[in-house]
Amino acid sequence: MSMTRRDAFKVAGATAAVAAAATFTGCAKAEGAAPAVAPSQSHVTLMPKSKGKRVVIIGAGFGGLAAAKYIRKQDASIEVVVLDRRDIFMSCPFSNSLLGGLEDVTLDTLTRDLYAGAAKYGYRLEQCTVTGIDRASKTVMTSCGSVDYDILVLSPGIDYDYKGQFPEWSDEKIRHVQQQAPAALMAGSEHLALKRMMDNMDGGNVIITVPAGKYRCPPAPFERASMIAAYMKKEGIEGKVIILNATKNIAKGKAFKEVWADKYSGLIEHRDDCTITDIDLTNNKIHYKQIVGVDKEEKEIVETKVESFAVLNFIPKNKANAVVAMSGVKTNAWGGVIMNGASFQSKDDKHVYAIGDVVGHGVPPSGQTANWTAKEAVKEIVAQLNAHEPYKLNLPYSAANVCYSMVTDGPEEAIMVTHDFSFNGTVIAAKATVPHPKDGDGKYRSKGLAKATREWYRGILDDMFM
Amino acid sequence: MNRRDFIKMGALGGVIVLTRPSLIDQKLFAHDGRLYESFEKVQLVDEEGTPIKASALEVDVDYIFQYPHAGTPCILLNLSEKSEVNVELKDALGDIYLWSEGVGKSGSIVAYSAICSHALTHPNKSESFFAYVPKGKASAAIEKGGAIVCSSHLSSFDPRNGGKVLGGPADQPLASIVLEHNAQDDTLWAVGVLGSAKFNDYFNAFKTEMDRDWGGKRQAKKLVKISAPTVKLTKFTKEVIQY
Repeated sequence: MSMTRRDAFKVAGATAAVAAAATFTGCAKAEGAAPAVAPSQSHVTLMPKSKGKRVVIIGAGFGGLAAAKYIRKQDASIEVVVLDRRDIFMSCPFSNSLLGGLEDVTLDTLTRDLYAGAAKYGYRLEQCTVTGIDRASKTVMTSCGSVDYDILVLSPGIDYDYKGQFPEWSDEKIRHVQQQAPAALMAGSEHLALKRMMDNMDGGNVIITVPAGKYRCPPAPFERASMIAAYMKKEGIEGKVIILNATKNIAKGKAFKEVWADKYSGLIEHRDDCTITDIDLTNNKIHYKQIVGVDKEEKEIVETKVESFAVLNFIPKNKANAVVAMSGVKTNAWGGVIMNGASFQSKDDKHVYAIGDVVGHGVPPSGQTANWTAKEAVKEIVAQLNAHEPYKLNLPYSAANVCYSMVTDGPEEAIMVTHDFSFNGTVIAAKATVPHPKDGDGKYRSKGLAKATREWYRGILDDMFM
Repeated sequence: MNRRDFIKMGALGGVIVLTRPSLIDQKLFAHDGRLYESFEKVQLVDEEGTPIKASALEVDVDYIFQYPHAGTPCILLNLSEKSEVNVELKDALGDIYLWSEGVGKSGSIVAYSAICSHALTHPNKSESFFAYVPKGKASAAIEKGGAIVCSSHLSSFDPRNGGKVLGGPADQPLASIVLEHNAQDDTLWAVGVLGSAKFNDYFNAFKTEMDRDWGGKRQAKKLVKISAPTVKLTKFTKEVIQY
């Protein structure tokens, strides 16, 4: 029998459709497919029932990918499933180097395929959106069906809290601001949009806002200001970078202020205690109130101000990703999971762990800390699933976190901070040190630190994917 | 013999392994060879090919040689004091192994793979973030020094104790290079690698560097034979970067 190509297509199409309906694997477009698989259709399963040692990890970032790899490395009898709505890995750490136009830094530098680690270490990666978590039946509902777990690891990262910061804003306005004044603390189009805006600007000011409360990567806005200033200098763009900070706090403050004074005098301006009141994207103006001092009665003097911008990097307040709330475990006000002492296990539920940004500890929300929380949680999980003696975290831990920030180009220089971690009886807390590098001639920044920044980044990515 | 059996045997008959490693041929852990692997016995020589005399090594100075592959750097140190003896170490998978001791007249000469056990940072011909911080010298990684420090992610390792992790993100000791010292003529020989070495990951991670420094990955992978030129780190690399 001869079969035409058209016929073959029909057959293939039908087969594929049947397969998809039966198992809901191959669910490629997570967002689009969401309505077809409502959480109520819990009979639709993403994969067969666990045989007793399955870890489901929500989030394929610095925490989730390290956890997946190291569980499989330590105990290949544990089945690992990683869920993420994205189809590509993109790094936030080092991404300001792209904005700065540093040598050889391209989108390739920041992206990886998510399949590499899954193939090498034998864990399963599913692109889907988590729609619900039922801890009673230990099941995660997703846009591609449900999956049951023995241990659930929450590593979803942050969400922006536009609503909390501006309750009066409509969803439409929020979406508009998110796209026209991208925050770029979550990797993806926001970073590229910001880069496009920088490439397209001919002059004027770049405004970066810094929110109050815990936000991802505390030095990021200040590193970004430095990198953007370096870029403007290189490109001969007239204008300056204005940082509107909700507080007076600058992570690695001494080091940033030193380089701003030395290299970007008149180019970077940092304003303390600014509360953003509105953003006008029609006229490119940002409205804010600033505490400028105190009067005789020690009452704050607040001035209402407005500033124009060519590019706005509006970083709203952060909160824990909504996935955490879906689990219903007890959280702090920010949304971080309350932990079971010096552990990454939830205090509420011994089958739920949290790593990365959403831990309820006082450790910095950085890439390296996410990696560390992942590896420590893995040791706890492996012990638990094998009914071994519980693993005790190795604390206090000095130089636990190291975080570099690129600050200049031509030549490239960077600064660093290290954190010591210790348990204070309630949470794991961090103490920061900003050292003077040996090759810095008494300054906080050095060329060697810039090389170390690149090597740090190479190493931490290889630790997840190789 | 499987690996677990060997570990048990090692605990009882460890002396054989630890004092005369060159007598052992082939991998001890047949199925993966992870914890101890013997390689060709190679003499440490200087740039001219003259055998290095153990007693002529400067104290607390980093020396680099390539072993067991042509492009896998190792650090050689003559410490200011004798090493500890029979140090029990644990790799990332929880397997326990024994590191015997430093060699030379005062038991102070040690060698380790200079590929960081955390994320593979290592000395190359253009720069090194990897070096020994002598006792009393401060480092961002460790206050009192006396450690091999990887200044990329600030892991630190104790060379007097088999490369045990002192701090930072590393989750296992540095792999150590098993040395033999010939007391008659004061020469030094590398005979094997003890602990979890990450040579394969290293070859895969640094393709561009392999091309630049060693004429390609395949050249870098070749096993070292007869002798290994040993030079000071400051000579091997253009820039030592350390925090």
